[in-house]
Amino acid sequence: MAYSEKVIDHAENPRNVGTLDKDDPNVGTGLVGAPACGDVMRLQIKVNDDGIIEDAKFKTFGCGSAIASSSLATEWIKGKKLEEAEAIRNVDIVNELNLPPVKIHCSVLAEDAIKSAIADYRAKQAARQAAKANAQ
Amino acid sequence: MDPFATLGAPRRFDLDLAALEKTHRELSRALHPDKFASASASERRAALEKAASVNEAWRVLRDPIRRAEALFQLEGIEVGETKEPKPSPAFLMEVMEQREELAEARAKKDLDRVRKLAAAIGERMKAAQERLGAAFDGSSRSADELARLLPLLGEMRFYRRFLDEASAIEEEAEEALLAAEANGEKVHA
Repeated sequence: MAYSEKVIDHAENPRNVGTLDKDDPNVGTGLVGAPACGDVMRLQIKVNDDGIIEDAKFKTFGCGSAIASSSLATEWIKGKKLEEAEAIRNVDIVNELNLPPVKIHCSVLAEDAIKSAIADYRAKQAARQAAKANAQ
Repeated sequence: MDPFATLGAPRRFDLDLAALEKTHRELSRALHPDKFASASASERRAALEKAASVNEAWRVLRDPIRRAEALFQLEGIEVGETKEPKPSPAFLMEVMEQREELAEARAKKDLDRVRKLAAAIGERMKAAQERLGAAFDGSSRSADELARLLPLLGEMRFYRRFLDEASAIEEEAEEALLAAEANGEKVHA
C-alpha cells in the first residue's frame, strides 16, 4: 500500500518519541490499543498551571500510519489548552495525513489516546484536590 | 460461508490440521481446471468457484485467529474493530511493557532475551487457544457465554504482533550474521 509523503515523513522521523514521568501529578498518560490489529499506543501530556500542554510524548508499536497519527497528535497538542486538544478529531488527522480508509482506525486510536491522557490528568488533579481537602 | 462445512470439518476450535490439509489438497486436485478441460463452461466456472472457496476455507481454518473469528461469527457473534470490547488498561499496560522490553532487547542485540520474551508470549497465546478450544468444543453453548470470550480474539492479535516482531528481529540478526560471514569477518557465536 502506498503511504502519503506526510505519513512517511512522520513514520521515519517521528516527533516527540519518548516518556514522561507517569507519577508526576502534572503528567497525564493515555494508553490505548486496537484489538483488531494489535497496535498499542501511549501518549503522555505535561500540563502547566495555566492548563496548557507544555510537553507531549508518545510511543507507538504499530504500523507507519499509527506512528504518524500519534506523532502528528503530539505536535498538534503541544502549546494547546486542554479544551483545544480535546477538540481534535480523528478526521483532522485523516485529512492532514491523507490516510486511506483501511487506516482510519489509526487516527481513531490517536484521538482516543489524547482523550485518555487528558482524562488521566484530570483524574489525578481531582484526586489531589480531594486529598488536599481531606488534609485541611 | 462456513469454512468448516466447506472442508467437511467439525465445527470446533481444536482441529486435526494435518488431516484437514490433506482434505484441502485432495479437493483442490479434484477441482483442478485440467480435470474440467472437456466440461461445459458452466461446469468449469462452478469448479473454479468451488476451488476458490476451498482455498479460502483452508486459509481460515489453519489460522487460529481466523478460525476463532469464524466460530464466533457462526454463533451470530460479530467480530472486528467496532464489535469487540476495548482491551483492559491492565492488559494494555502489560503489552506496552512487553513491547518496550522487546525493543530494548533488539537495540542491545540480546537475542537470548528476545527468544525468552517470545516464549513467554507464546505460552499466553497457547493458553488463549486452550480456552477457545474448551469453549468451542462442538457442544452447544449460549451466545452470552461465548461472547464473554470475545476479548481473547483481541489478545491473540496483540500476541501475534509481538511474535511477528520477535521473529523479524531474529531473522534480522541471522542475516547480519550471514553478511558478516560472507565478508570473512570473525564471528563470535
